[in-house]
Amino acid sequence: MNLEKVVFGFFVLLAATLNFGFFIGDIANPDLHNVYELFAALAVSLIATVLKFGDRTQIGAVHLATSLVADLQLIAAGVVWVWAVEISAGGLTAVHTASMVSLSGGALLANLVSVVLLVTETVSFHRG
Amino acid sequence: MRNPLLIFWALFSWPKSRSPVPSRARIQSSSQASSTIFLVMRRMRAPLITLIVIFSVSVIGLTLIPGIDADGRVARISLFESFYFMSYTATTIGFGELPYPFTAGQRLWVTFAIYLSVVGWAYAIGSLLTLLQDQSFRQALALRRFTGKVARLREPFLLLVGFGRAGELLAKAFDGLGTQLVVIDESSDRVDALELGSYHADIPGLVADAANPHHLGAAGLESPFCRGVLALTNNDETNLAVTMATALLRPDLPVVSRTISTPIAERMRAFGTPTVVNPFDRFGEHLRLALNAPASYQLLTWLEAGPGAALPERGRPPTDGRWVVCGYGRFGREVTSDLRQAGLEVTIIEPAEQGKPEPSVIVGDASEPAVLSRADVESAVGLVAGTDNDTTNLSMLATARRINPGLFLAARQNRPTSAALFEAMRVDALLVPTEVVAHEVYAQISTPLLWRFIREMPARGDEWAADLIQRLRITCGRELPALWKIKLDGEQAPALTGWLAQRRVVLGDLLRSPEDRNRQLRVVPLLLLRNGRAVLTPEGETVLAGDDELLFAGGGSERRELESTMVVDSSGAYVLFDEHLPNSWVWRKLSRNRPKPSDAADRGDVTGRRA
Repeated sequence: MNLEKVVFGFFVLLAATLNFGFFIGDIANPDLHNVYELFAALAVSLIATVLKFGDRTQIGAVHLATSLVADLQLIAAGVVWVWAVEISAGGLTAVHTASMVSLSGGALLANLVSVVLLVTETVSFHRG
Repeated sequence: MRNPLLIFWALFSWPKSRSPVPSRARIQSSSQASSTIFLVMRRMRAPLITLIVIFSVSVIGLTLIPGIDADGRVARISLFESFYFMSYTATTIGFGELPYPFTAGQRLWVTFAIYLSVVGWAYAIGSLLTLLQDQSFRQALALRRFTGKVARLREPFLLLVGFGRAGELLAKAFDGLGTQLVVIDESSDRVDALELGSYHADIPGLVADAANPHHLGAAGLESPFCRGVLALTNNDETNLAVTMATALLRPDLPVVSRTISTPIAERMRAFGTPTVVNPFDRFGEHLRLALNAPASYQLLTWLEAGPGAALPERGRPPTDGRWVVCGYGRFGREVTSDLRQAGLEVTIIEPAEQGKPEPSVIVGDASEPAVLSRADVESAVGLVAGTDNDTTNLSMLATARRINPGLFLAARQNRPTSAALFEAMRVDALLVPTEVVAHEVYAQISTPLLWRFIREMPARGDEWAADLIQRLRITCGRELPALWKIKLDGEQAPALTGWLAQRRVVLGDLLRSPEDRNRQLRVVPLLLLRNGRAVLTPEGETVLAGDDELLFAGGGSERRELESTMVVDSSGAYVLFDEHLPNSWVWRKLSRNRPKPSDAADRGDVTGRRA
């Protein structure tokens, strides 16, 4: 068992699960989407990105790309939240919530691709 | 090609596929550089993750601890404000407690977070700085920069391996000719010297072991613009490795390689057809030429020294008598065999006995007068001081001159710093191996015709050489003029190609001035090459033909005048046949229509039209 692989798999999967947890629920209902979960998803996603640094293989490059996409989407979702809560007059409305959650949905897709890559890598390793 | 994008792709990739580099294998030259960059990214993982974790924990902690707002109500600060606060606190900017003063509980957490984040930043920045200072990382960056520079070169260049004394001399000479160079040397001092030297062109230099083909690949060995490889390091093994790599990867490129060992030279010749320069061998040949034909030797050294060189003195070495050679190493052996081939008697002095003693070898320190008198220097005519130690050579020369002032002294200079001492000693023939290599390579690479000339010159004899020196001096002065070649083809001489095919064009007429055809250009034709056959110093009556190649010696202004004869139709007609062609297209059309009936009759008969 390779500890590095364990840590890597853990963070990739945790990023996806946290993201999923934040995403699930009625898209326009602010009560169903906890901002702390978004924060945790972003932090874990950043860590997963850094873990993917310095991998020279082709699959490593795709891993890094998916992670960067997820980071970008989550940061955008965070900015929408800050805008809604701190700047806009109406507070966290259904419109803002919907756009924030849909952005995180995009990140979820990227995270799922990451997970698929991880599984593919593992399976092909066993076969080889 | 159904997809229109494919057509564009094919269009843009066309130039690449049209100039294929005949190579049998490819080098992955950039892999080494990128691997180091990946290593750096890998090493930055731990500090970056630490930083992210510390930040997340601090930010979340701060939002969880209850605070009090301006009205005294319990209010937690939001995630955004917490992130803002931690950002300016962790980076030591410190705007104060926002949006309202903290409670004791919040301050407790912030104190903890400050220490944590300072440690995190210090760790991250420290790791980054350490990596930037890392030797292998810096080398990787330098290699990357160098590779990029070479890849961007869009003109023919020579790959110079080894930037020692010979390399520096050559770099100056080729830079003067406007030839681009790329340099590899093992020592960073030498590459610094390259950067400090004042060259016209920006010469990329790399500190690397040239025996590694990856470095040669980075230096553009596989580039279609590479025109040749010069392996001039002091290390024979490295030169052999470079010769090998070039012969295997780019068999089409000319290679010039330096060595002082005959076995290595043989091994080099096993790979293709490299030009091997052995300075000791060449000095022996030069010495023999100097003995047999002093004027030929004088001409040779003058031409090899490059443009602007002053005419060297013509030495008068003794042609019969006994020579003493001190130091029977590689150099001593070469010189001895050359002297013996010239029919001279040779006495050898060798400091240490090695192997089986040959007859006429005297063992002893040649700088001692007793040893020199044992070699009977009084009755000798010449002495060669050929050890690999400059101090020994100098003291040997001084002792020998005291014993026999009339001796012809030849010496080997090993270190460039000793140049002044040997000059003060006024030796008759001096070997500086680095200079021999530089001159030799210059003669071979700068203009191929010059090398042809130098190889065929000794066969023409001493008197011919003396005449040519006289002619060069009268025409061009005491300093060697520039040597340049022309080719009478459609590209270089568009004005002449038609006449060369139809009428009789002689060299003497071509070398008239386009200002006034009664004045001859101050140019000396050195060589005419036609169909692979060379004619040395062609006469003025020589009839020229298309695709002839000519080597001239002459100043820049004379060269420009000759070029205008070759390019401008009206100048060419005036210079060659004393005819006046109208310059403009309209007048030419008008005048061409008139003499048409007599044109065929006139062809080849110049005097008829002039009258």
